[in-house]
Amino acid sequence: MARYLAGRAAGVVVILLLVCLFTFVIFFTLSPDPAVMICGKTCTPERIHQIRDALGLNEPFLTQFFSFLIGIFAGRDYGEGANLVHCAAPCLGYSFQTNQSVWDMVVERLPVSATVAIGAAVLWLLVGIAAGLVSAVKEGTWWDRAAMGLALGGSSVPNYVLALALQYVLVVQLQVLPFPQAVAFGDDPVVWFQSYLMPWVVLAAGYACLYARLTRANVIDTLAENFMRTARAKGLSPVLTMRRHALRPALTPIATIFGMDFAALLGGALITETVFGLNGVGKMAADSIAKNDQPVIMAVTLLAAFFVVVGNVVVDLVYTALDPRVRITAR
Amino acid sequence: MSDLLVVEDLTVTFPTARGPVDVVRSVSFTLGRDETLGIVGESGSGKSMTSLAVMGLLPKGARASGSVRLDGVELLGRPDRELRRLRGDRMSMIFQDPLSSLNPYYTVGLQIEEVYRAHRGGSGKDARKVAIAALQQVGLPDPERRVDYYPHQFSGGQRQRVMIAMALVCSPELLIADEPTTALDVTVQAQILGLLAGLRKDSGMGLVFITHDLAVISSIATRVLVMRQGEQVEYATAEQVFAEPRHDYTRMLLDSIPRIDDPLDEGVTA
Ligand SMILES: Nc1ncnc2c1ncn2[C@@H]1O[C@H](COP(=O)(O)OP(=O)(O)OP(=O)(O)O)[C@@H](O)[C@H]1O
Ligand SMILES: [Mg+2]
Repeated sequence: MARYLAGRAAGVVVILLLVCLFTFVIFFTLSPDPAVMICGKTCTPERIHQIRDALGLNEPFLTQFFSFLIGIFAGRDYGEGANLVHCAAPCLGYSFQTNQSVWDMVVERLPVSATVAIGAAVLWLLVGIAAGLVSAVKEGTWWDRAAMGLALGGSSVPNYVLALALQYVLVVQLQVLPFPQAVAFGDDPVVWFQSYLMPWVVLAAGYACLYARLTRANVIDTLAENFMRTARAKGLSPVLTMRRHALRPALTPIATIFGMDFAALLGGALITETVFGLNGVGKMAADSIAKNDQPVIMAVTLLAAFFVVVGNVVVDLVYTALDPRVRITAR
Repeated sequence: MSDLLVVEDLTVTFPTARGPVDVVRSVSFTLGRDETLGIVGESGSGKSMTSLAVMGLLPKGARASGSVRLDGVELLGRPDRELRRLRGDRMSMIFQDPLSSLNPYYTVGLQIEEVYRAHRGGSGKDARKVAIAALQQVGLPDPERRVDYYPHQFSGGQRQRVMIAMALVCSPELLIADEPTTALDVTVQAQILGLLAGLRKDSGMGLVFITHDLAVISSIATRVLVMRQGEQVEYATAEQVFAEPRHDYTRMLLDSIPRIDDPLDEGVTA
């Protein structure tokens, strides 16, 4: 097990390094010179050279790449002499736009994205799995058809359409919710909740539809398994038969999918955050791309990759714990 | 004392797109205590549906009519809540494919214990002891350790032993074995057959043994019911059936014993 974990950890590091390298290559070769952008309209070649020097952009590619990597783990210095700026580890550089430390930006915005992701996840798990379960048990009834029709339709409604529609109806027309505000839970729990409610619902809606259909399909498949017939032949109560024998096999694959979906969301819900003006990692990504703020783009890319790759490992470990057939072979 | 199991005029009907279809038609048989009934017939002849009807386990939509009496008590038409109390306790069933018939997510110990606890209650500790004893009874070596194994950690024959242990943990009066050896290779088949025969003898329960292979039951059945396309074509004592089969179809089954892939089989189904 220890060896397995070490192997997986090594894999995570390698993949993240590759993502770093890949993103770096793209910026190095494809994007416009950041020094020109920073310099603005009234610019001299000397000034550009100065900026390039300060940012380390005159160095060869590999030197820049390693400076970036070292910065993450040990911190790094920008410029020299009187202009020297020390960026403490973990250093992701400074935003070209605001000169803010990118790491600080991430730390500030991650909780927002996490709040959005966690709230939405709770919602879509509850609603999606419950609806899927009822549909499976009542397969073929009007409830099943209605729920699955809704789920099918719902998963094809784009996020932003639902977001704008909700906002228009609830905030503008009915005025039952305030415009989403950036307040901390501790400051005003009610406004906090009201502000996150719409983002949660919007983000959860698509997933809930998907999970309802997944759950329904898995439960129906499981109910047709031979071991379910055995459970009935043993005289177990319907509740125990359902809870013990059907749910675990039916929901285990969903746990895996959930892990991946959730991990991806921690890297920011781009559309939802942007539409509701939430200052999360997703909005940060959107803004940085719009303004070609390379250090920030780099950071959000890495962050998303980090969550996905680590999420993958966690999912594998959880699956190993949930399915005894995998557990034994992994040893 | 009444017979253990009396089935009279049992008909099983499925609603289909082209109207109701009887997959079992007017089947009648009697099983005494301490007896083994062999039900034989080709694939699709209604053997499983007959036994599922007895257990009250017919698939959704299927309807059974006629009479099924266990120890003189009518079972057909009784609510599932009441049948549930009998299943696993007074009548048990084992199936063809032991791997898919066991839940892969739980240890065999738990799957045996839950039968016992559903019918007898008691603590988990007691149930565990009972489960270990049941595994011992079916000849599984090292039951104290294997009680914590998962189904995939056993061989096919061992899994069928586990199924048998599970079926017998409450000492039922009736055991229905639906092709319990079909999925196993020949030597293991013989072992399971021997085990079932031995356990039946020791406990004095009635056994219904279903197979499509007449040869398999020649050694253990006291009576034989031959089915074809949902109907019973022959019902007699084993000696009678093997010595002088009355029906052509039975004769054909007997003839085909040594030649498994005989082209004659196709003539039979057509
Ligand atoms: N859900 C269903 N709807 C309609 N007909 C069905 C359904 N399930 C089974 N049948 C039919 O019932 C008949 C009897 O099936 P049964 O499973 O009892 O056969 P069997 O004798 O056990 O065969 P095998 O040896 O293959 O197990 C088959 O002809 C089958 O097509
Ligand atoms: Mg069958």
